[in-house]
Amino acid sequence: MAYPYVSDKEARVVSQGFGDPKQRRIDTYVERGGYGALKKAFGLSPDAVVDVVKASGLRGRGGAGFPTGVKWSFMPKQPTKPHYLLCNADESEPGTFKDRELMRWNPHQLIEGCLIGAYAIRAKHVYIYCRGEFFETNQVLARALEDAYAKGYVGKNILGSGNDIDVTVHQGAGAYICGEETGLMSSLEGRRGLPRVKPPFPAAYGAFGMPTTINNVETLCAVPHIVANGGDWYRQWGSEKSPGTKLFCVSGHVNKPGNYELPLGFPLASLIEDVCGGMRDGNSLKAVIPGGSSVPILNAEEAMSCKLDYEGCVTAGSMLGCASVIVMDHTTDIVKAVRRMVDFYAHESCGQCTPCREGSSWTAQIMRRIEDGDGTEADLDTLMQITQQMVGTTICVLSDSVAPPVQSSIKKFRGEYLARMKAARSTEVPVAVPAGVA
Amino acid sequence: MSTTPPTSAPTAAPSAPAPATVTLTIDGQTVTVPKGTTILEAAKTIGTKVPHYCYHPGLSSPAMCRLCLVEVEGAPKPQPGCVTTVADNQVVRTVSDKALGNRQGVLEFYLVNHPLDCPICDMSGECDLQNYVHAEGREHGRGVEPKRVFGRDDFGGDVLFYGDRCVMCTRCVRFMSEVEKDERLTVVERGNRSVIDTFFDEGLDGTHWSGNIVDICPVGALVSKAFLHKARAWDLEHTPSVCASCSQGCNVELHTRDNVVQRVKPRENLDVNGWWMCDYGRADYEWMNEGDRIEAPLVRQADGSSKAVAWKEALGGLLARAKELQGRPVKAVVSARASNEDLGALAELVGALGGGEIVYRSPRSAEEIVLQGFPTLARRKDLAPNVKGAELLGMHRVGADDATGGLDKVRAHDGIVVVLGDALADQDERFGASAALYVYVGTQLPVAARAAHVVLPVTTHAEQEGTFTNHAGRVQRFWPALTAPGMARPAWLVLGALVGELSGEAVPRTAADAYAALAEAVPAFGGLAYPKLGARGALPMISGAAVSSGAKGA
Amino acid sequence: MSGRSKGAPFKNPGWAGNTGEFDLSEAQVRGDDFVGERPKHGGHASGAGTLPYMLADKEPEARLFEGEYQQRFEKILTRYPTKRAALLPTLGLAQEIRGHVNPETMDRVAELLELSPAYVRGVTTFYTMYNKAPVGRYLVQVCTNISCNLCGADEVLATFLRYTDTELGETSEDGNFTVIEAECLAACGFPTCVQINSRYYENVTPADVQKIVEQLKKVGD
Ligand SMILES: Cc1cc2nc3c(=O)[nH]c(=O)nc-3n(C[C@H](O)[C@H](O)[C@H](O)COP(=O)(O)O)c2cc1C
Ligand code: SF4
Ligand code: SF4
Ligand code: SF4
Ligand code: FES
Repeated sequence: MAYPYVSDKEARVVSQGFGDPKQRRIDTYVERGGYGALKKAFGLSPDAVVDVVKASGLRGRGGAGFPTGVKWSFMPKQPTKPHYLLCNADESEPGTFKDRELMRWNPHQLIEGCLIGAYAIRAKHVYIYCRGEFFETNQVLARALEDAYAKGYVGKNILGSGNDIDVTVHQGAGAYICGEETGLMSSLEGRRGLPRVKPPFPAAYGAFGMPTTINNVETLCAVPHIVANGGDWYRQWGSEKSPGTKLFCVSGHVNKPGNYELPLGFPLASLIEDVCGGMRDGNSLKAVIPGGSSVPILNAEEAMSCKLDYEGCVTAGSMLGCASVIVMDHTTDIVKAVRRMVDFYAHESCGQCTPCREGSSWTAQIMRRIEDGDGTEADLDTLMQITQQMVGTTICVLSDSVAPPVQSSIKKFRGEYLARMKAARSTEVPVAVPAGVA
Repeated sequence: MSTTPPTSAPTAAPSAPAPATVTLTIDGQTVTVPKGTTILEAAKTIGTKVPHYCYHPGLSSPAMCRLCLVEVEGAPKPQPGCVTTVADNQVVRTVSDKALGNRQGVLEFYLVNHPLDCPICDMSGECDLQNYVHAEGREHGRGVEPKRVFGRDDFGGDVLFYGDRCVMCTRCVRFMSEVEKDERLTVVERGNRSVIDTFFDEGLDGTHWSGNIVDICPVGALVSKAFLHKARAWDLEHTPSVCASCSQGCNVELHTRDNVVQRVKPRENLDVNGWWMCDYGRADYEWMNEGDRIEAPLVRQADGSSKAVAWKEALGGLLARAKELQGRPVKAVVSARASNEDLGALAELVGALGGGEIVYRSPRSAEEIVLQGFPTLARRKDLAPNVKGAELLGMHRVGADDATGGLDKVRAHDGIVVVLGDALADQDERFGASAALYVYVGTQLPVAARAAHVVLPVTTHAEQEGTFTNHAGRVQRFWPALTAPGMARPAWLVLGALVGELSGEAVPRTAADAYAALAEAVPAFGGLAYPKLGARGALPMISGAAVSSGAKGA
Repeated sequence: MSGRSKGAPFKNPGWAGNTGEFDLSEAQVRGDDFVGERPKHGGHASGAGTLPYMLADKEPEARLFEGEYQQRFEKILTRYPTKRAALLPTLGLAQEIRGHVNPETMDRVAELLELSPAYVRGVTTFYTMYNKAPVGRYLVQVCTNISCNLCGADEVLATFLRYTDTELGETSEDGNFTVIEAECLAACGFPTCVQINSRYYENVTPADVQKIVEQLKKVGD
């Protein structure tokens, strides 16, 4: 198989169907053992399913890395109200492009994961909140659901087990913040996608005011494999604290960007060199963002020693996030890159919390001014301070996401900022001027 | 303070088990409050105001302004005081370096795009941004970037919106959706481009309570058109009063400058109006400022003309004539806008003259306008503040719903006619012409008072102390906000003096005396006295039990 | 709108694989469901026919929710425990028909779902996918976020503006194109990603732009 690029270092669990157009057909899926895990799960008690997932050590793949089995166990054991499982398919974190691939190549894997998850938390309805821009993926998913309903894998009395579970695809409408779990709930309810204060936590008061669990697409896609093969099987990869495999979304200046499923703990250096075919044009590495736009930037040296799991990235000075590895070579304009990420947060802030609403756009204004050559060194102190004022003071952590790229880049690439300053310009330091401006 | 409005009057003997309490430390002080109280409300009980914008006790708490962040020992992040509930042994700091640092940080963000046009802002002097920044803000802002501009928008009704001053607390949006339950306002766009708006040109027209959003807006973003650039906040005097526009009896404040009422604002009273009042009551104050008042007692001369005289002369003459006529049946007309004290004094006067019939006329509207999210508050059908008081005193309603007619018998009465407060707008100059004695007690001189033998100038409720009894029987005090014109005096004082002369009883010197006399004479007002009424009123006590809402007076 | 195999002007148009070792056909990559006929009112209420598209042919004055659209609207209602929750998909349907969501549309949707018009306006303006004003037949959204940006998205955007002869955010004179910048479209490994109406074009380089524009003018997306 040759899905855009593959590597023999991969351990393909959830990405098995990538590049295989037959995989999305229900017949092929079933032929290849699909929906077997569902049958197995129905043979166990819901709590036993939770235990299997707990034993696997699977951690949420949406960014926070919270253990999935533990999250499921927060749900009431004796339902007195409807429970909901929400699948977070709003994938919008810059650098992340795994959930769309999972859904369009292998929709039944996700549907099966949703069904098992729903069974485990005693939910009768699953909403897959799929990003609105994914028209095509939405249709693939919806068609797969259609087939699954027709064949009795979804709906009333699934496979004669007496279990009723409905699955609905819900299309978003363009707002990154609807990927935040409580923002997603607001949006699903037909509101502005405003995150809500916790407590109350979703397991007590979630979507439509009912006990709710929310999981990322990749998390739920791993579930059928874990249920089919057992928790220990999953632990053959990764470490004690970060077991299993993970999709790494590699983008930027490598020769072979793409999705690679690797055991957690894989060395970042090897990911770039061996898996992704090295840097484009043989350029040298300048920086790597290992976990999407909201984690600190690593310089080349830090990147080289970084192990790609939840703990390893922290040791290196960053975070794994959703494992979106953005690679930058020596031609990269760090100031522009950071400015572009900050613009994103300013554009996507829902606007409730004052530090986030005002801080994100203020930061963007200053970054733009620096990029345009009108900054001063004092601006860097202001940036450090105001981004810090945005950390830990808001309802959700979108606000906190502005500090990592800004602060880490100022610390690690201060020289590049200084070269842009008014003072530097007056002494004729060459500045990269956007084409067509000068 | 609870966010759910109490729906019934306090009961006399609560015997519920003591509610569970929590004891914590706020800024070194030990505080004990009921379980479930928020840190912000707990701090209030020891006089600590935690700065906040989005929180309002009458609305839901989205915890979005982030101004109320306090330090809670053991918590990894600062906690919003408005939604974080107290816990035993919790240690809260609202003024520590950390808490203050957070607050300064948040305040700085508020100033990034704020125009700081205080010199031309109506809110200046009572603005929570001005106050907080002045108290705790950084010396000077660091913002050098161009500010966002939204401009000004007419929301309809009495409401004008200055978008650039908005701190995006969404109190106004939540009031309209949760309290008025007419979702006319929304946040449009998101992030830094968010702005409050209505549905395009729809505006707030046709709503009945939207004036309240001006009150709860913590800054000068929503302002009243009627009040626009009329007065500066620091020049206004605030006098507690009661709305005279319907029988609900909303607690209000009259804001005055230079002896003119500039605006009316609701005053918190959870048992009556919460924090709210209707737009009609709010707009109904110009009459208090009217100038063409009777400034001296007038006595009709033999040639039919009137002569202004001193009180002593007017009352002396009147008494002499009254004594001559004592025993002749009295017919009196009163206004349900007169206070309990005034009405009580009038009832006594009628009694002292030998008795008679007292009627009142009062406008009624067809519909009650209930505030959906606080249903104990409604603009009542009775559009006068003291209909209940008049009823409890045995006075009878006459006339139509527009307060006209019903006076044929009085008009042609040949005994004693007394009018208190009714402007007799539907009557002509022959009203009372056949009366042996016609006394007109009022504020302005209508044509129908031409036949009066004596005209006595009295004060409006804005110029005197007194009480009204609201639709539910609650007796509520108001205070004088304006100086009375000329020789006008409260009716209870004038009428009380006459009663004293006629019956030999003690003459009330204060409104409190007048109420005490009333409470003694009429059981329906019993068990209460001014000190007990306080600023928020109470239900009268009859043999130990409160008169339940709606119960008929004795 | 049927059949997308109208002669792609360049190898592997618009999907992950213009680079790479891929040799699948477009239909195989996208799934023939998407490439084939657009499912209209058919299908289970959980998805399929109820999901909105973005169409080139728009009827700004069309009556809302009649015929097949009425059926789709009714199916949407069955999916949620509250009427309010149907708001986003319903606005999506309205936009599929009319191309944008104007005040009159908001008012009508508000009435159908028993919401206030102001509320609907608040929700509509929160989300970027609802066009608040008419757009061209093709809404070209060029991702300029970090990963695409590192790989030259700014230039792709500039090239689109050049070939469509329009300004950022404006509609070209012939009514064909509106070009805007988009935030990350979640195709970062296939830069630059450009969304044109319902469809993703991936691995777009400045050199591809002219062909894409001409293809759209000639045969549609
Ligand atoms: C601003 C913001 C955006 C987020 N976007 C996404 C997203 O697009 N997809 C996702 O799965 N999780 C996203 N998350 C994380 C979710 O809040 C949540 O943690 C996750 O869906 C939980 O699923 P998991 O436990 O399976 O990881 C986002 C979080 C934040 C704060
Ligand atoms: S932190 Fe930002 S995005 Fe999150 S709730 Fe607050 S304003 Fe909205
Ligand atoms: S207008 Fe006033 S009340 Fe409304 S959100 Fe703005 S600051 Fe708050
Ligand atoms: S409800 Fe009645 S008492 Fe209250 S403000 Fe309105 S008119 Fe005045
Ligand atoms: S008052 Fe607590 S966050 Fe606004």
